[in-house]
Amino acid sequence: MEVVLHLPVVPNVELVAAKAVEALGGALGMHQTHVEAASVAMVEACLNAMEHGGGPFTVRLRSENQESRPCLVIEVEDHGEGFDPATAPQNSASRVLGSTMKRGWGLTLIRELMDEVQIRSGPGMTQVSMRKYVESAP
Amino acid sequence: MNEERIKISQDLLSDGFGLIAASGYINNEGGQAIADAANKLMDQGCKTLLIDLDGTRIINSIGVSILLEILEKLMDEKGQLAFCNLTPTISKTFEIMGLVQYASVYSDREAAQSAIAGDASV
Repeated sequence: MEVVLHLPVVPNVELVAAKAVEALGGALGMHQTHVEAASVAMVEACLNAMEHGGGPFTVRLRSENQESRPCLVIEVEDHGEGFDPATAPQNSASRVLGSTMKRGWGLTLIRELMDEVQIRSGPGMTQVSMRKYVESAP
Repeated sequence: MNEERIKISQDLLSDGFGLIAASGYINNEGGQAIADAANKLMDQGCKTLLIDLDGTRIINSIGVSILLEILEKLMDEKGQLAFCNLTPTISKTFEIMGLVQYASVYSDREAAQSAIAGDASV
């Protein structure tokens, strides 16, 4: 099973990608809680692609069987300037409350809500690849 | 995607205690709609707000950051913020972003009302 979406930068287009997570996660027999976690991670990855990618972006979803463990694989690819994932800011609640800067939670949420996350980025291409196992920890 | 459009209702439950029920996508627009409802209730003297998210299954960090602003405003007024009917994913997102460190979370509206009424009687 594979779904590929080429998405324009328009309001709420991230919900189209979230619907695809729902459909594929449901078809894989994934628990609703895991589907919702993957949907929020997908939404955050799409928002980052729209904010930093500078144009249309691509979302790919597929099922895989990683060492006999079925999982949903999500890739979000944009064509922006890129960034160094190692130095990307990690947000924390203590830093945000009382500050005027409350943004920048996307990567933190993606890493916390998904089982595995890989980011490849360079000038002209950033790809966030994430995996959620059907039998994932709660 | 119309089913994701935020629907808001607000109610003054008792003196100083307001309820906001929100269902739909909490993004920048959804978060702002909740903030507008919170501001109206605070203008009516509410210092305790309960936000019931029954029917909300998807959120984003921009929407949650607006909820953090409501929390800050209430904390400045020595008030309190509470949530109920959170999905496990929304609950975890609130935990990661620090909302649950300062706001109370209840399983449902009844549990929230009874706990908040209990606090007020102490």
